[in-house]
Amino acid sequence: MSATNDSSELVRIDGLVKRFGHRVVLDQIDLTVHAGEVVVLVGPSGTGKSTLLRCINALEDFQEGSVLFEGKPVGRGRAALAARRRVGMIFQSFNLYPHLTALQNVTLAPVKVHGVDKKEAESRARELFAKVRLEHRADAYPTQLSGGEQQRVAIARALATRPSLLLFDEPTSALDPETVGDVLSVMEQLAREGRTMVIVTHEIGFARRVGHRIVFMDGGRIVEEGRPADIIDNAKAERARQFFGSILRG
Amino acid sequence: MSDLAAVSSYWLLFAKGLGTTIWISWLALLIGSVVGGILAHLRLVPARPVRAVVVGYVELFRSIPPLMLFFGSYYGVSYALGLNLSPFVAATVALSLHASSMMSEVIRGGLQSVDSGQWAAGRASGMTNLQILSLVVWPQSFRVALPPAVGVYIATLKDTAVASVIGYVELTRSGLIVRENTGSSFLVFVIIAAMYFVVCYAISQLGAYWERRFRIVGHK
Repeated sequence: MSATNDSSELVRIDGLVKRFGHRVVLDQIDLTVHAGEVVVLVGPSGTGKSTLLRCINALEDFQEGSVLFEGKPVGRGRAALAARRRVGMIFQSFNLYPHLTALQNVTLAPVKVHGVDKKEAESRARELFAKVRLEHRADAYPTQLSGGEQQRVAIARALATRPSLLLFDEPTSALDPETVGDVLSVMEQLAREGRTMVIVTHEIGFARRVGHRIVFMDGGRIVEEGRPADIIDNAKAERARQFFGSILRG
Repeated sequence: MSDLAAVSSYWLLFAKGLGTTIWISWLALLIGSVVGGILAHLRLVPARPVRAVVVGYVELFRSIPPLMLFFGSYYGVSYALGLNLSPFVAATVALSLHASSMMSEVIRGGLQSVDSGQWAAGRASGMTNLQILSLVVWPQSFRVALPPAVGVYIATLKDTAVASVIGYVELTRSGLIVRENTGSSFLVFVIIAAMYFVVCYAISQLGAYWERRFRIVGHK
């Protein structure tokens, strides 16, 4: 693969193959994410969308191909740590630290990983709580928060280290229907601010509204990608048409 | 009750015995926790041979009755290695072997109670493994491991009584000495039983206090 000088390329994945034993989970994935872009990964369950997401910040290893983040291979060890420090991640099950308050959840990485002064980290965290509309919940523990509130704290936590890329792994799948909207509207606001986001989700309406590009995956491969309207309403691949057809009818 | 007068004139021996029992059980708990903690963490290592060695150690030393461990480390070690261990050292070794195998399982249970999502969150934020352990995993696993750890301590404290068979003068041995000198069996046993009870009960209460003190808000 030839290296490009396109400085807006934040993530570049070439020929990525991942196997669990003999099973191929990701098969020859090529994907590029540009700064400021919102890329939405959609497709049936178990097709490797979350695994692909976790390859970008080296939470998963892979057998072939390369993943470049900000022009550098993510790999293992120090390279993986360096990449993760510039990437924020939001999980399906929130994964907040239950022994810490919401505020401490948000300040932990800035203080312990990035060496930010505690006072400074706290004042930044308060701004982030305002952004996710949880100013009044900063001192609550995760178990005292609703799912939607927990996920918004998790978004604040991911933003606290000032990442250049945000990864969302099915952020609303574990939420009650009435709190899904709160989380999606925060995400929409982040997209409007021009943040680079890669999102795995089943929220097709959100993908259409907010996504710049939709990537449809099936069986560990990227089947089709393009502008939301083109993919959701006029997919070329039969598999994609079926998928969106069943979801939109549903 | 001249029995009571005779027995109580040995109060200093009882006090020393109790002190020795508490001291050696704490020492064994400390060594057992450090060794058991290391073993529990080694069980998280992906390399199979490492885990196999740990499992072997744990299964071996928690299967052998403490009495045999005392004989083994006192007579066996001097016989096999030509080392002449004092009763104190032999008793500490025996108690520590047993306590470390029990603590290893307690600590492993604590570590494994922490959801894998916690590791993922820590890794995703760029923490090193040591940072994830110290900032995220240990504070949560400590709370889970505390109640069974109190149980291990109480068991260790009671196992110290077996050290009397190799001539180590702890609380039970002190009682036996008083019994020989005064001929009063029942009273002596009531006294040392009460002393064991008071110490164990105090430890339980301390453990219960710590449980409340470190409880995660919203958790049961």
